[in-house]
Formats: sequence, structure tokens, C-alpha cells
Amino acid sequence: MNCLIFGYGYMGKIRYEVLHKHRDVRSVKIIDPGIDPSTAGLDGVLLPANAEISWDQFDATFVCTPNNVTSDLCIEGLRHCGRVFCEKPPGRNWEEFCRIAEAAATVGDHTLVFGFNHRLHPSIQAMKALLGDGGLGEVLYVKGTYGKSGGVQYRENWRNDREMSGGGILLDQGIHMLDVFQFLVGPLEVVNAVLSDGFWGCGVEDNAFVLLRSESGVPVFLHSSATLWKHTFRLEVGCRDGYLVATGFLSQTGSYGREQLVIGKRQFEDEALALGNPREEIIHFDRDESWDKEVNEFIASIKERRPPAHGTLEDARRVMQIVRDIYALAEPLDKLGRN
Amino acid sequence: MRSIQTSYTFPLSSVKPLEGLLRYRMYCLEETRRTLSVSRRRRERSPVGGARLEPFDYVDGFEYLRCPETGNVFLAELADSKNWACLLSAASGYRHSPKAFHSEIIKERNENVYLPKLEWIQNTLRLQGLKKPLLMAVVTPPNEFSYVLERSDAFAEVLTVDEMKLVEEDRDKEKLDPRANQVNGGKKGAVEAAVLPESLDRVDDPLALLRGVRSYLKDDGLIFVTGLVCSGFDFTVLGRNNLYLYPPDRTNCFSLTGLTELLNQSGFVPLEISTPGVLDVEIVLAHLGHDPAIPLSSFERRLLAANPETRAAFQAFLQERGLSSFARIVARKQT
Repeated sequence: MNCLIFGYGYMGKIRYEVLHKHRDVRSVKIIDPGIDPSTAGLDGVLLPANAEISWDQFDATFVCTPNNVTSDLCIEGLRHCGRVFCEKPPGRNWEEFCRIAEAAATVGDHTLVFGFNHRLHPSIQAMKALLGDGGLGEVLYVKGTYGKSGGVQYRENWRNDREMSGGGILLDQGIHMLDVFQFLVGPLEVVNAVLSDGFWGCGVEDNAFVLLRSESGVPVFLHSSATLWKHTFRLEVGCRDGYLVATGFLSQTGSYGREQLVIGKRQFEDEALALGNPREEIIHFDRDESWDKEVNEFIASIKERRPPAHGTLEDARRVMQIVRDIYALAEPLDKLGRN
Repeated sequence: MRSIQTSYTFPLSSVKPLEGLLRYRMYCLEETRRTLSVSRRRRERSPVGGARLEPFDYVDGFEYLRCPETGNVFLAELADSKNWACLLSAASGYRHSPKAFHSEIIKERNENVYLPKLEWIQNTLRLQGLKKPLLMAVVTPPNEFSYVLERSDAFAEVLTVDEMKLVEEDRDKEKLDPRANQVNGGKKGAVEAAVLPESLDRVDDPLALLRGVRSYLKDDGLIFVTGLVCSGFDFTVLGRNNLYLYPPDRTNCFSLTGLTELLNQSGFVPLEISTPGVLDVEIVLAHLGHDPAIPLSSFERRLLAANPETRAAFQAFLQERGLSSFARIVARKQT
């Protein structure tokens, strides 16, 4: 398989590494007008920025660009080669997502996958396996916090330029947690949302508090933040027979801490001993195979001519509907002003 | 790869009380002496990597040797396989008799030892997407844990297999006729998971046991291994004075690295390596109570004299960092 990557930023580099070692990938080419053609290690890999793309040379396209060109490149990839792996978010807004979906509908036998790798992290996969019949019973509530500190270049980053990104921390990071929520409890609807831009003042939300509800009535809460001075990933799931708490997240920098999952069991029967502090098991994970897993699945679904198992158009639709509804429901940031 | 830490706590007295252990230990030492008087062979090289073994120490007259590469500790002298199998069988039978402490605290052992092990296996199977697998329990019968497994409804079938028979079967495989597959109900290549509760600690040839288990496992089949490791806290601190070190139960005492290497060599890829032991500190404390003159450093004595919260925090640290003496490993058969 010959692959073309649009964009060689943070995500483009990750995808290049995964594709480079994949046994079914013969060649990988990159287009990124922002990269110096003399960059070490990219000899013969980087295509001239203004060159016309010979689409017949490529079997699959990876869109790893800033959000403002995502939908156009995704549609172009679909029309010319029919196999597209697109990083999240699937467009800057609902309208751009719909354009992608409409383009996909016109291309028969296409493969379209969106990069929602968080659900493939080991702690989340373990969580999913333990819910319901997995031992902990029906889910009672879900609560997730995902945030970062921004950093000195935060205001200059395209991710916080509304024109380029389409939104703030919710669309950048919170969208992953929304996907994970739906992976665990199914489709969600927005009950209420509060957005604020209290610190960075970029004109996009730096904090999002969102209350959601699953189709079966499970309450779900998200705090997505760009002002968590200690990088945080924390997901709590309360069940009839116990609870799960995923904290930390395996990442390239390791800044979210050691990825782990706490498994606790309800202990009413032994409450005198447990005193609301039941026995817990903590699983520590030290290997993140999520990047490999999602690319492997994309390539396998192409080879086997079957729908992909995750990151589907439907997964993307559900998450973009929620994002659309949150932005529609929350009071506009320009009316709130800064604190 | 994953590792597991637990906040489950229980006193030493509820699983292997030192006083009760001394009676059982004496029986094991006597039986081992008797067995070695009938048949005796010496291990000069590590049964795993082949490295020449170095002197470690003597435990009640039994010589133990140490592998300089992995830190594994091995009993120097063994009997032939047939006699070793008889020894393990005798020890197992004694454990099951009213004479041993095991039967006195069977309820506590069930709650604190066997059920957590069963839950660990069940949770791992769920995470690996295996439902009601055919499970092989590799033990020397009679074995209480294999009964717990058999009574559980978590498995399609539990095939209890004598660990020494697997060792012998592996050694004799070239001599066996094609009907060898009929041994153990014709399950070769059909078993989805195997559990080895301290089996590698006891058998005379751990590599042969793993090869034997491997031959029964399906491709990608899982093994669950538990054992005491010499790289853990109580073993490291107590060394030869550790009363939990005795043959035949501790014929092989692997380090955590050595155990992992053994599995790799045998064609398994570890998925989980944990030391979720809860008793290291209490074991050293019990030894100090038994013999106040036991050699300990001032730091160790200070730790043992610390309040229960400090001791619990230290035990949690041992668990989290792979430094407890009780090890659990899950590995997948590499194809």
C-alpha cells in the first residue's frame, strides 16, 4: 500500500512512524508546505508543496493538518483515492462534517476513518471490558476531566485561533473524552453546558463544563480545560457493583502521568470493615498501542473490504452533534467577557 | 504490558501463619531428605539459561545455588523425576490432611488466596476477550485451588493435570508413540488458558514444564503463573533465614527478571508482570518475633518498628514497583 500524508506536524509524525514500520505499507509520502525540504530523514519522502498530486500512485490518504483544511483535504482524498484516515476533529464544525459525510456518500466502496485513539488506550479498553456483564454491572454515572496547562505559546497556537480551529479546548481535547463516553455508554445528548475563556482570552473556550445524558438515562459530566496547570486525565465510572477510575495517560511526553485503572467493588455486605473505603486493585499500564491499533484497523478494513471497527463516520457524527449542541447551548463567549 | 497493585489486606496468620508453617516445613524437609536418600542428582547449571551456578547458602542442611546472571536461586540436589513426583505428591497430600495448618484455616485461605486468584484470572480473561475457556490447572493433586477452579462457572471445563507428568511427558516426547495426544483427554493444542499456581517453584525442570504446558495450549493461549520471587523484599532481607524457603515447595526461587526470562525462553510473551504481595513486611516482622537476633539493618528495624500506616505505604510501594516477593504473571503463547 502506498500512502500519502497531508501535514507533518505532531500527528503527521506519529502517523509516519506507524506507517513506516507497517508490513503492508510499501511507501509513504508527505506534503507539508511548512516543512523545509532539506529536513533530515525526509529525503525522497517529502513532495514539493506546489506539486500536482498523482492520485493514482496512492492507495490511502492521511489528513493530519490544521482543522481549517481538514474537510477540504478529506473530501479530496475521498474523491481521488477513496481511502482516507482523518485526524479529529472531523471538520471545524457541524457544517464541515456534513460536507465530509455527503462526499463519502457519493463515493462507493470507500474507507473513511477518523482518529479517535483514546478509546483504544489500555485503561479505556480495560474499563469497557469490566462494565456490565464484565463484572461491575450497569453504569450509574460517568465523570471525566481532561485538561492541560496551555504553555507559553498557547495563544500563538493555531488550535486556539477560532478561524483555523473552529473552537477551543473542547474541540481540541474534550472531543476525545466525548468519544470515550459514547464508547462506554452509547449515544449521548447534551443537557447543559457552560463555556468560559477566563484565562487565555483567545476568543475560544479554555474551560468547558458539559452535562450529558445517555439514551438509558446515565448522567455524564465532562470538564475539558486548558487551565489545568497539572496535566490531567481522569475518568470515573460508577456502576451498580463497583467503580472504575482511569487516571494518567500514556503519551509521548509522559506529562499526564502513569496510566492506571483503579477497580473497586461495592462492599455493602462488609461495610463495618470497609467503612466506605473498599478494597481496590490498580492496574498500571506501560504500553500504548493505540496509534498502531487504529492504523492497523484502517489498513485491515481496506484489505478485507469491510467496514472499520472504530473511528467510523457514525462515531464522528455522534461526537460532532454533541459539539454542535454544546456550542449552540452555551452562552457565547463574547457576551461573557473575561474574568 | 500491565502490572497490578492491590489494596486487599489480610494478616499473615490467615494464609500462612509462621507457627503453622514450621510444622509443615519440618515435614517437607524430612520428606525431601528421605527422597534424596533414595535418589540424588546435582544441578551445576541453571535449568533456565545454562549458566554455571554459584554458591548461595545452606538452608537446614540443603544447599541452594544462585544463578549469577538472573539472581535465580535453585536447590542444588534433586531426586530423579519419578521420586521427585512422589515427594511433591506427599507434600500435597500432607497439605490436604488435618495435620497441616492449611486445613485449619481453609475458609480464610479460600477468601484471601484462592478467590482473589480466581478473580484475577476471570478479569484477565474478560480483558482478553475470552469467554468460558477450557482451562488447564497445572498442579500436584490434591490441590485446593484446582477444586476452586472446578467449582467456578467461569470455565467451560477445568482439566487438572499433574505438573510432574507434564514434565515427564515433555522429556519423553520423542519416545512417545503418535497416540501421545490422547494423554490428558486428547487436549493437546486445544487448551485456551493454563494456570500454574507456584508450580514452577516446585518441579525439578521448570523449562520442561513450560514446554509441556505450551504443547497443550492453543495458539495465543494464555498462562497464569504465580510464585514467590527471590528479588522481592522479604526474601532479599531475610535471605537464608527466610523460613518460607524450603524444599520441595521452594525448589526453584526465581527473581522477577529470571521468571520473565524463563517465560520468554519458553515461547511466551508476558502481558502482565505484577508483584501484588501484601505480606512482605509482615513476614519479616514475624521472623523478628520468632528470632529477635535475626540479622537486619538499622533501616529495616526502623521500618518494622514504624506505625501501621508507614508499613502499609511501604508495602504498597513494593507492590507498585515490582519489589514484593509474591509474583503474578500472565503471558501469551507466541506463535
